[in-house]
Amino acid sequence: MDAAAERCDYADARIVHSHEESISTRNGHVDELDRHEAHGAGIRVRYGGGWGFVATRELTRAGLEAALARALEVAEAQPGAAATPLTAEPPASGRYDGPCERDPFEVPTEEKLETLLAADEAMRGQAAVAITSAHFQAWSEQRLFASTEGALCEQRTVDCGGGIAAVAVSDGETQVRSYPASFRGDVARAGYEHFAALDLVRHAPRVAEEAVALLTAPACPAERTTLILDGQQLALQVHESIGHAIELDRVLGLEASYAGTSFLSPEDAGMRRYGSPLMQVSADATAPGGLGTFGWDDEGVAARRVEIVRDGILRGFLSSRESAAEVGLERSGGCMRSSGFDRQPVVRMTNVNLEPGDAGSLDDLVAATERGVLMETNRSWSIDSRRLHFQFATEVAWEVVDGERRRMLRNPSYAGVTPEFWAGLDAVCSAPEWRLWGVVNCGKGEPGQLMRVSHGTAPARFRDVAVGVA
Amino acid sequence: MAEAPLELAERALAGVRSGDGAQATVSSERSLLLRFARSRPTQATGIEDLTVEITVVRDGHVAGASTNRTDDDGLAACARAAERAAAAAAGGGERDRAPGPYPGLPAPTPVRAHAGHDGETAFLAPARGGAALEAAFAAAAAHGTEAHGVWTAAETEVAIASTSGVAVSDLLTDAFMKVTAIAPGGRSGYAASAATDSKALDGHGLAERAALKAAFGGQGAEPAHLPPGEYPVVLEPLAVGELLGWLGHLSLNGLAVAEGRSALSGRLGQRVAAPRINLSDSPRYPGTLPRAFDLEGVPKAPLPLIQDGVARGVVHDRRSASLAGNGAESTAHALAPGGAPEGPEPTNLVLVGGGAADEAELCRPIERGVYVTRLWYTNAVRPKETLLTGVTRDGTFLIEDGEVTRPLADLRFTDGVLGVLERTQELSAQPVLTSEGEFYGRRFATGTVCPALRVDGLRFTG
Repeated sequence: MDAAAERCDYADARIVHSHEESISTRNGHVDELDRHEAHGAGIRVRYGGGWGFVATRELTRAGLEAALARALEVAEAQPGAAATPLTAEPPASGRYDGPCERDPFEVPTEEKLETLLAADEAMRGQAAVAITSAHFQAWSEQRLFASTEGALCEQRTVDCGGGIAAVAVSDGETQVRSYPASFRGDVARAGYEHFAALDLVRHAPRVAEEAVALLTAPACPAERTTLILDGQQLALQVHESIGHAIELDRVLGLEASYAGTSFLSPEDAGMRRYGSPLMQVSADATAPGGLGTFGWDDEGVAARRVEIVRDGILRGFLSSRESAAEVGLERSGGCMRSSGFDRQPVVRMTNVNLEPGDAGSLDDLVAATERGVLMETNRSWSIDSRRLHFQFATEVAWEVVDGERRRMLRNPSYAGVTPEFWAGLDAVCSAPEWRLWGVVNCGKGEPGQLMRVSHGTAPARFRDVAVGVA
Repeated sequence: MAEAPLELAERALAGVRSGDGAQATVSSERSLLLRFARSRPTQATGIEDLTVEITVVRDGHVAGASTNRTDDDGLAACARAAERAAAAAAGGGERDRAPGPYPGLPAPTPVRAHAGHDGETAFLAPARGGAALEAAFAAAAAHGTEAHGVWTAAETEVAIASTSGVAVSDLLTDAFMKVTAIAPGGRSGYAASAATDSKALDGHGLAERAALKAAFGGQGAEPAHLPPGEYPVVLEPLAVGELLGWLGHLSLNGLAVAEGRSALSGRLGQRVAAPRINLSDSPRYPGTLPRAFDLEGVPKAPLPLIQDGVARGVVHDRRSASLAGNGAESTAHALAPGGAPEGPEPTNLVLVGGGAADEAELCRPIERGVYVTRLWYTNAVRPKETLLTGVTRDGTFLIEDGEVTRPLADLRFTDGVLGVLERTQELSAQPVLTSEGEFYGRRFATGTVCPALRVDGLRFTG
């Protein structure tokens, strides 16, 4: 940083050492067993109004100086632009260690395989089940951050989780059921203890039975009705229709070429109704176990909790030092995150959470619903580039009649428009039903980055929703 | 002189001491990507990195480890991790687990060279990108719009060495630029270009095309809203490429076919599309981003997939071919050493053009329909039906009496890809390379060469 300070307006550097392990079984065989390691430095400089960023795996002094020179060359070669301010932040200092009771990278591979293969086997036996799979995933990251403003901090985080899935196939149908979440399961900022607590083997027979039952279940009818969403599907609903919409870089039009923009504008904060008065949303980078929980973001801004929606009214955004300054905020929201040393940080979700309500348990909520559909476990998602018009499909649904969960329904789907959908929120289950759900494949940025984020949700009910749309 | 990727792969392979076979794969990347928004530069990323991946086969099981450390200690640690992983996959020292489905590493086969490398592009000159941005900003401004987008170029190399004797390397360049022009009222237009030579990226021309769409009908023109329903459509190549990419992922994937999850399971030899549909995977087709071999080192060759509307083939890696049986062999479509868990996919799809001169001629027979520039956030709803949903973006227009007349608000479609190909009435004559330019993980540029289509009905659901 000393070398950089003399040659540009601002610079920061991250040295990141990351490990990843993926283990999967498929139909009783080990399908994937890979360990990945990467280390390197990302140097970001600001020269005039332009940014330059260069990633290198050469961590020698010569390697880092060459990367700095290239970053300056890149910044200078771009068309001139007026410099925009950055919010003032106290220089980060110290060390943060994320929660981890048992390091997943120290757990013998055989122990992990024993669990996965047992869960895989427990899903087999019925002829219609064509594919069974079980998954384990773990990541660890060591990040050292320094800036020309005097920041110097270090943090280590560990993420771990997994899941199972059964695919049933008949002549014209393919149905999938998974646990605890689709697309390889659920991951938390935690050690192996999170994977062990998922108890995959115990849930395996039910998962297979439901996959087979879906093959002959009646299709979800097309109608407007009351919709109850389980926690995982609601987490993705929050992710797509709130989390991305409140990213300030999108709001300001800075992500228009890829991720898109937002139906929100900076002036909406404090003014715009996002949904029903029951809607309380925060972005909390301090939530224990969340994949968006850390000590500092990748600009060295200390983790914080930002109020996003209070009583249904939009209050705040996810922001960086530059975007926060552009809309006149005094502090960054601390949301600049990068997926590794070779990507520069962009505005990201931390843990965007829908706070729990007072509707009791999921059973209580069903009992209090005369007629509707309960949908569980995401299967497909799509939303427009302004985060307004969405369509989701889930793995399974049940019709709800007179307060009881009745027939299973296959191919459930629903669609809506963000503010109208959230205006229909009329019940959120209570705190004991609330938990964080991990999303490990949030894509954004160019070159692309996959980020791990979490969303805290409890099951909730929405009125007058179009279901059976696909 | 720096060690060549193939030399590095051979050094990594030499460190493997156990297993029934091993492969070392080196994927190197030198890239530069310039982003811009609101007609000013926003982020610029330069990457110099590589990944060494060591894959060990043991008793039909495949496992591996990767690193970007290239010192002897780093490679040795990677080799030990791969060996331990393979031993664990095979059931430990007792080998008490059933043999895995992997048929073994391929024998070496000569690979053919291609013209997919441009020395000047490999220089990654920031000034060339900066000039393209300047030109785009000027062209966008001339139409009262702002430019958003990306200019990027890269040199990548894949080198493979294996204990079965494979020793190959493939040096490539790729370049991509896209411009989204946004008018003051919020309407947008889009244009993109991909090639192996960054000189082919015309910042001014792309911004001009994008801006003309954003400003179509005048800056004050409000987009019309179309109620849900089925409408005839003209799909520009970008939209067609998106649909074909999903078809490759969901249905032309030999693993999905073998497991009964594909729309083509049991349908090879049957008509699945309109007779004028001819789709292949052609790694050296003019204009494509060529590749010499797949990630198991199997040489690429043209492969017919749909001929005159009849399903003729699907793509395989070594593992999916083994599972499929009936004499199936790898078609050189492994996406990872030992085969990716999701199965193989086409990487060089080519849809042969038809008889229409251009998009305007495709519009001519349509009384009332929809003109689509590109699709966004597409996702599979029911994979076995190839049923997708997604939205139109950056240039959706109403076609009336054979001509594009006014802008439309973006629409959601929910329809099957094979259904779209069945209802295809005509194709434009000149296929072009389309790419989304998405570079997650180690850069691996792909694109689909395809024309525009006229389709007699696409189902819009919102």
